[in-house]
Amino acid sequence: MSAIIVIGAGHNGMTTAFYLAKAGHKVTMLERRPVVGGCAATEEFALGFRAPLANAVGPLRRSVIRDMGLATRVQFIHPDPRLVALSPDGRALPFSADIGRTAEAIGAFSQNDARRYPEFCETLRRLGVFLSGLFDLTPPSIDAPAAGEMWEMLKVGKRFRALGRTDSFRLLRWGPMAAADLVSEWFETDLLQAAVASRGVFGTAMGPWSAGSGAVLLLNAAIDAAPGGSSVMVKGGPGALALAMAEAARGADVQIRTSAAVSRILVGDGKAAGVVLADGTEIAADAVVSNADPKRTFLGLVDPMDLDPGFLTKIRNYRSRGTVAKVHLALNTVPVFRGVADPADLHGRILVAPGIDYLERSFDAWKYGELPQEPFLDISIPTLSDPSLAPAGKHVMSVHVQFVPYTLAGDRSWSDARQALAATVLATLEKYSPGIGSAIETAQVLSPVDLEQNYSLTGGQIYHGEPSLDQVFTMRPILGWARYRSPIENLFLCGCGTHPGGGITAASGQNAAREIALALKSA
Amino acid sequence: MNKYDVIVIGGGHNGLVNAAYLAKAGRKVLVLERRHVLGGAAVTEEIYPGFQYSVASYVVSLLRPEIIRELDLPRHGLEILPLDGTFTPMPSGDHLWRVNDHAKTRREIARHSKLDAEAYDEYGKAMVEMGRFVKPILTMTPPDPTSLEPRGLMNLLFLGRRFQALSDQDKYNQVQLMTMSAVDFLDQWFETDVLKATMSASGIIGTFLGVRSPGTAYVLLHHYMGEIDGAFRSWGLSRGGTGAISLAIADAAREAGAEIRTETAVSKIIVKDGAASGVVLANGDYITADVVSSSVDPNLTFLKMVGTEHLPSGFVDDVKRYKYRGSSGKVNLALDALPNFTAMPGAGPHLRGAISISPGVEYMERAYDEAKYGRYSRRPYIDMVIPSLTDPSVAPPGKHVMSCFVQYAPYNLKEGGTWDDHREAFGDTVINTIAEYAPNIKDIILHRQVLTPLDIERTFGLTEGNIFQGELTLEQLFFLRPAPGWAQYRTPVKSLYMCGSATHPGGGIMGAPGRNAAQKIIKDGRR
Repeated sequence: MSAIIVIGAGHNGMTTAFYLAKAGHKVTMLERRPVVGGCAATEEFALGFRAPLANAVGPLRRSVIRDMGLATRVQFIHPDPRLVALSPDGRALPFSADIGRTAEAIGAFSQNDARRYPEFCETLRRLGVFLSGLFDLTPPSIDAPAAGEMWEMLKVGKRFRALGRTDSFRLLRWGPMAAADLVSEWFETDLLQAAVASRGVFGTAMGPWSAGSGAVLLLNAAIDAAPGGSSVMVKGGPGALALAMAEAARGADVQIRTSAAVSRILVGDGKAAGVVLADGTEIAADAVVSNADPKRTFLGLVDPMDLDPGFLTKIRNYRSRGTVAKVHLALNTVPVFRGVADPADLHGRILVAPGIDYLERSFDAWKYGELPQEPFLDISIPTLSDPSLAPAGKHVMSVHVQFVPYTLAGDRSWSDARQALAATVLATLEKYSPGIGSAIETAQVLSPVDLEQNYSLTGGQIYHGEPSLDQVFTMRPILGWARYRSPIENLFLCGCGTHPGGGITAASGQNAAREIALALKSA
Repeated sequence: MNKYDVIVIGGGHNGLVNAAYLAKAGRKVLVLERRHVLGGAAVTEEIYPGFQYSVASYVVSLLRPEIIRELDLPRHGLEILPLDGTFTPMPSGDHLWRVNDHAKTRREIARHSKLDAEAYDEYGKAMVEMGRFVKPILTMTPPDPTSLEPRGLMNLLFLGRRFQALSDQDKYNQVQLMTMSAVDFLDQWFETDVLKATMSASGIIGTFLGVRSPGTAYVLLHHYMGEIDGAFRSWGLSRGGTGAISLAIADAAREAGAEIRTETAVSKIIVKDGAASGVVLANGDYITADVVSSSVDPNLTFLKMVGTEHLPSGFVDDVKRYKYRGSSGKVNLALDALPNFTAMPGAGPHLRGAISISPGVEYMERAYDEAKYGRYSRRPYIDMVIPSLTDPSVAPPGKHVMSCFVQYAPYNLKEGGTWDDHREAFGDTVINTIAEYAPNIKDIILHRQVLTPLDIERTFGLTEGNIFQGELTLEQLFFLRPAPGWAQYRTPVKSLYMCGSATHPGGGIMGAPGRNAAQKIIKDGRR
């Protein structure tokens, strides 16, 4: 049994802590903020109005839900349609769980696209199933794969072959492709193309024309293969899920301390030996697991003297550029969107990304440190399924705004730009929901810089580092250190900056727990 | 009527290399070229009296040394003259001038940034290592990752082993090169904007990608693999223009017994019982052969010459999907005198190398942004060479020719009208851009030839004007070039082969596709 400290009580940290405690270790979690949950925490942004950073969860890995008993602790909501894509011409395209029904809706735009949609869904599903198998794996060691790993890789190879010629070539081709090219091979409707491609660029520093956005699309398919993406909600918001995970962890004897910021990781004889808190308290431990992102962990919490300069250079070069801002709106009524007759259709996510060029132009602005004129919006109105998040009769609108730069051009500061961003978002929303402006009681803008400060996300990068081709799988966070270990013995990573990363899926946390338990056993 | 062992379609450098190797192996070979001149895009033409333009392709570096050796090209007249340095004038009046003299370049870069001067050494070493790693892949027939064919598996294993044998740092670099954008990659090494912009330029040539687009770092390497007299990363000019390379190869092919006919356009490939048995010429003549080897791109080969009725539908889809998207144009100038650059006045040695209009990363990226939405860049990236300074034979005494490679010029314009309507305006844009750095340029132009992507398509038979017969993007390289499952120079039509730039390892005056394909044809013939 080892005494283990987990830094950060985000969903991955809690998952790792839970499994390590189950494996018999004595686990203490230290959370800087007064609440657990990290990006999943639900917080009050205006009197009586609450919203989380994340619009939807995962979906969470099934085995984690089972092991942590989450299904009994929270209520998962699966809205249908999952997504409604809005068109500037006043029409809307709902993505239902039912492929046939979605195809029918697509038929109003293009019969060709409607015909191809089922095959596209099926293809994405098959490739997603293959890739999700990779998600469960600890990325193999490149230098000296152990026998067990070779066996695992052989199994992967066999499953790759089982995909068949067409699909295996698709997998190889689609990964390095631009999402825009990928969708144009299937569909002709700009709205549909963009809705699908938007999954390949959300949270990344890539536009739909960037090569490699195809890979992000595929990685998302591994989490949930539906082209519209996943829209699993939790009653009470993702914060309720965070509390349930904390409860499960406590039930496994994890000690959770909030308002306990770690300022440094102690290293003795090349081994992690504990942490120092911001108030100077030292806590000794046999192992330290960081749920913080790789840059914050190695550049912020570890003394550079304890790391090799080459490793530090690589971590500095790990790209972690934020592209997402968050706008929370407190509404005094439920908004009405053009083209969406039934308010029940708004329970999932609402997408403002009406075309490939629209997305790309928004990305162009980001490249030059400018605010997009017409931003890409991923919206949810969580109060439709869970009225408890706002005062009676009122609503919360939670908007992910992309592409928003962390560093603004021309020395412009974010304190000046917040209002401008809010105005841009409102102007965009007005086009799709005329009159929405008059329903707004309060608006809160969280810039990428705010996200960095509030949630300790380096660069405001919501995925703890960009999911670009050179920063996934055996390269996440960097080649040679993708196995949740670090150059410092008994210092581990368990956050989204490790394979497979992604949204609120708990996959990194679960994989990390397995590796850490192994490493501690063999030590 | 004569019967041939092999008919090679297209007398470009790859077609000629292919023919030369096949002829040397004892095959009776016939090369058919549509134009009146040989060389395809590697061609020299006297468009304006007394001035020899390297009309399309204008510098050489990638031509495989084994081809030069095996075909004994110097004896057939090939002479490569080194092209020294890259000069980048800047709007501020400053410049960046990198030359082959390492110490000099270091001092020059240090003038911009001391840190970058240090990093430049490290970078050079790393890239040479990467080039070494990639080189054997160029001469390899790509394996089919979905088949269990032992040779393919051996190749995959060989690649895996080689990768494993790299040092940790080199593995890291290699992975980054394969996936990152040129600018992201260079950002890790350098801070000087103009240096990064000029270096990243080689990552975008011939692609419809920007310097910030993932996947462009790989092309950086593609341009680093060049080798002249054993020295990595040197560019050169061929005496007599790039056409002289093609003529030397043609000479070698003829000496080995190949027959070459110009002004002989192929209109159809004859397919009988699923196998190619010859070609039909534009004039209606038939010529039969056991094997047809096509050096033209897949669009022309399969959709025009073979016909979809002879092909599996999945393959036809793949061929239609293959991306060309030409993104560059060419402006060739006959000059009365030398251009005079504000950033370094006079006729110094800086004019003898490449002159690059790439003053900053944002300049490059904005040039790309315009192209994405269907406009040619109003301030394009231009790579200029004045070959007459190195090889006076290409212009009358005291006069000069200047080759300007221009990007971006998207094949599909969305600004109204066709390229025929925009040709001269495009040419003016190029001249105006150059004039910002060399104001005398407008006064010294004797003749101007503007090639739009449409002209490149029409003249050289390059679909959509793509100079590499298809984009060099990751999903179109190695075992995916030109179509998944058909990267081994064979095609679904028996005895029809591909030997052009649309096959592995791709474009540039390299010759590797032609040679690799010849080896494949010879090997298959032995069975």
